[in-house]
Amino acid sequence: MAEKRTGSCRDIPGRTREYETIFILKPDVTNDAIGQANTKIRGVIEAGGGQLLKVENWGRRKLAYEVKKQLKGIYVFFNYLGGAGLVEEVERNLHLTDTVIRYYSIKADENVDAATKTSAVTDEIFANASVPGPDEEAIATGQAGARPFGDEEEDGAFDFEEAVFGKVDEPVRRGS
Amino acid sequence: MARPEEKDADLDQEGGRKKSSSRRRPCKFCTDENLVIDYKNAGLLKYFITDRGKLVPRRLTGNCAKHQRSIARAVSRARMIALMPFAVTGK
Repeated sequence: MAEKRTGSCRDIPGRTREYETIFILKPDVTNDAIGQANTKIRGVIEAGGGQLLKVENWGRRKLAYEVKKQLKGIYVFFNYLGGAGLVEEVERNLHLTDTVIRYYSIKADENVDAATKTSAVTDEIFANASVPGPDEEAIATGQAGARPFGDEEEDGAFDFEEAVFGKVDEPVRRGS
Repeated sequence: MARPEEKDADLDQEGGRKKSSSRRRPCKFCTDENLVIDYKNAGLLKYFITDRGKLVPRRLTGNCAKHQRSIARAVSRARMIALMPFAVTGK
């Protein structure tokens, strides 16, 4: 951080924090229910003095483990600016929403100048976030393209498997 | 009291220190600035966990300490949001 901080960023006028919240909805909910949940969270963020930066729907994905008896879930990603109390309010509302099976918030950045951040969320983008993307099966069988943070690496991208595990000498084993 | 053979366990036959059989690989994240460690990118993080779901130690992956910490943090977060498993059982 370039500038010297003086206590909490809440004390600096014009400074705020950037948060990311992901929540998982039950896999069988309708698009309307997703839209309702999104609108509710957007309302909470805007009512709490926050600014919505990004909304994404990652579609119906397989969960790595069972959550509330579900093996699949619809992931929705929110990125927003706000104060410390806002996350608490967002999470309280998610907790009250029956269709949400899991939520998780992280602080992406602190001491952010709100004027430098522009919101990429238009009404159209927001409406699209209530439509889940293609299922993983459809992507795996080539019927649909990969989503932003899919499991598939892009073609021509850095080949991590080779870089990390291939072309590697035998690792040093202690005590051998 | 330590026996001589135990004391010299780390020494080779000529009495010198055992040389490591591989050169330390540079950290992938230090050499490539485009690689960003993100808890949302489970496709990247899966190379740093074993098939049982445990973190791979950095002596095997070549990560530097700083980036290994970032990886550990990202994997923890990815586990919380069910993008990565806590443990892979045989069922």
